[in-house]
Amino acid sequence: MTVETLAPALVRRRPAFSLQRWLERDSVFSWLMVAPPVAFLFALVGYPFFYGIWLSLLNRPVGKPGVFVGFDNFIADWHDAVFWQVVINTFVYTIAATLLKMVGGLGLALVMNQDFRFKNLTRALLLLPFIVPTVLSTIAWQWILDPAFSVINWSLREMGLAKAGPNWLGDPYLAMFSLIVVNTWRGLPFYAITLLAGLQTISPELYEAATIDGAGAWGRFRYVTLPLLKPVIFIVTMFSVIFTFADFQLIYVMTRGGPANATHVFATYAFDIAFGGGQFGQGASIALTMVPPLALIILAMAIYMRPAKT
Amino acid sequence: MVGSFRQSRRDVLKLGAASVAGGMLGSSAGRAAPKSLTMMHESSFVPPYDAYFKNQLASAYEKATGIKVNYEVVSVGSLITRVSAAAENGSGPDMTAIGFNWAFLFDEKFVDVSDIAAEIGKESGGWYESAQEAVVVNGKWKAIPFGNIGQLMNWRTDWFKEAGYQKFPDTWDELLEAGIKLKKAGHPFGFELGHGFGDNHGWLYPLLWSYGAREVEPDGKTIVIDSDETARAVDYCRRLYKETMLEDCLGWTDVNNNKAFLSEQISCTNNAESILWAAKKDFPEMAKVIDQSENPKGPKGRFHMLNPLCHSIFAHTEDKKAAKDFLRWLMSPKQAGAWYDIAVSYYQPFLHAYDDAPFWKVEPRNIPYRDALATAHLPGWPAPLSRAQSETIAKFVVIDMFAKACAGKSTKEVIADAQAQLKQIYRPV
Repeated sequence: MTVETLAPALVRRRPAFSLQRWLERDSVFSWLMVAPPVAFLFALVGYPFFYGIWLSLLNRPVGKPGVFVGFDNFIADWHDAVFWQVVINTFVYTIAATLLKMVGGLGLALVMNQDFRFKNLTRALLLLPFIVPTVLSTIAWQWILDPAFSVINWSLREMGLAKAGPNWLGDPYLAMFSLIVVNTWRGLPFYAITLLAGLQTISPELYEAATIDGAGAWGRFRYVTLPLLKPVIFIVTMFSVIFTFADFQLIYVMTRGGPANATHVFATYAFDIAFGGGQFGQGASIALTMVPPLALIILAMAIYMRPAKT
Repeated sequence: MVGSFRQSRRDVLKLGAASVAGGMLGSSAGRAAPKSLTMMHESSFVPPYDAYFKNQLASAYEKATGIKVNYEVVSVGSLITRVSAAAENGSGPDMTAIGFNWAFLFDEKFVDVSDIAAEIGKESGGWYESAQEAVVVNGKWKAIPFGNIGQLMNWRTDWFKEAGYQKFPDTWDELLEAGIKLKKAGHPFGFELGHGFGDNHGWLYPLLWSYGAREVEPDGKTIVIDSDETARAVDYCRRLYKETMLEDCLGWTDVNNNKAFLSEQISCTNNAESILWAAKKDFPEMAKVIDQSENPKGPKGRFHMLNPLCHSIFAHTEDKKAAKDFLRWLMSPKQAGAWYDIAVSYYQPFLHAYDDAPFWKVEPRNIPYRDALATAHLPGWPAPLSRAQSETIAKFVVIDMFAKACAGKSTKEVIADAQAQLKQIYRPV
């Protein structure tokens, strides 16, 4: 076959194949498959995020066109005493709740990893707080902590331990404490189940080897369980920090940021300003100030918790 | 495989084009068909009130004009976000219920209804002045006021009697005195001091005003919260809290005082009509010993909270005339009167024609709500409607000033905090 006879055939066959071939190429096809989720992410996460940044640079009252004001909104936040209280509240809430969830969740996972009767049933029940919609369980908690109907205070009174019982949601410190407890209660199962999954991937042989080497229960936990669980702990903690930092429902239902802003966090404050106050720009600026500290926390955690290279 | 992929892709395109075309056809067909209007409302505390619109008013209007009126109910507390979304997107319901200063906030997004407001006023004995405070923006009516959901003192006549009070104390000082006695007798007061929507503003703003204090001058610029009058109001509030109330009022939201009152934990609170309503339904014995009275007087008079429910037409509405005609029809005595009747007096009309309406006689204990209208104002009064006013409410500046004092901070400190916040909020932009 000569070049002359081959060439027309090539030319003829090319258009018929081009689209299919092009589509079947790995580099094209993979992008094609990835495109819908990327578009989805951009539409629902990326676009609102960048729109949020743009909004935060505007004086943008509801129902009116915005005026570009640069960093004025952020400067106003800086001079707002409530904003700083919100910053402190958010950090206290996040750190306390995350630590409690981490320690409690790990403990729970270790217990669940043992063999006992009704193991599977218990594991299923453990997930309950996580399954119940937040608003519903929060309303239940509201009753538990309600000044008039609190079952805790009723028990304390009946047992003669207190006359009136603590003022769970009325005292600024107790209100924060109560919210942390409820958040922990809600987030614990997520920690426990994820860590349990992590625990079950650890080969029993490692424990056997450690035991032979003379490690006790603590030694096995410290030198076998913990290092191998580290990546899982990292992932759940990251998720937990993000969710707790940006928590809204629980606080909005229980206290709406009261008493006197003692439990206001970024999300609730931003919501109040943006919708209650009709100041979209200001609200966006408050919500956006969440991003840098959150990014820093996650970065620090990533560095600290990264698996050691051996 | 490849062939079918191609095939299906083409099908998808065809389907897409067809549905786009269909959508266009559908919507234009919808416009040509009998018109319909949608009214958005927050779910009412009085369920028959919502039902009456859906079942009676809407169908009567459809029968008379052929226009279907949909009644879209949104959950309590979410109306502002829904109105914001509709106004921002320029789509959604044609009319909406609004409150507080929203007529100002959404000014450009609402239709001027001055003409029908004038007609309605003329027809029904004239508007209360307080109605105009909330809806007239730059001389134009941006909403038709429907009714006020007033806040009054709710109290237990039996326990007050035991403490020696036949009627409700007339001044704040007398109220304090009564409260001290009642708390000693095991019947403390409970007024909301937390971050609720209504029951906190319902008494704290009137308290502030009745001592002659205010946040901002009528010029809407000069901050005057740092005054002796404010200090006296704050001092009073601290005493009232410490000497008469349950400790946990500081963390209350709007539901707590209702629950505490109905479970006989407190003898007095500030609330809308909901406590008496609920008591009549569920605790008829208790309902007999509940009464409602105007707020006490301070050195500078007696004040109440204006909490208006009004109806606005969105500027994006295609047929503004149809919406106006509907509101006009709705507010004529035959329709509006019946709608007020259904809710008894939960919504207190802003029209003088209803001053002696039969529904006031159904429950005479509600009459003080009517009388309170004359001294009712919006938070932020006497400054004109403004965005700063919304921000002050959203930040709970005044509420927290009082709450912080009750929690133990000094009067000077809490006023300085409020002053700094107001300066920031009312800064010239």
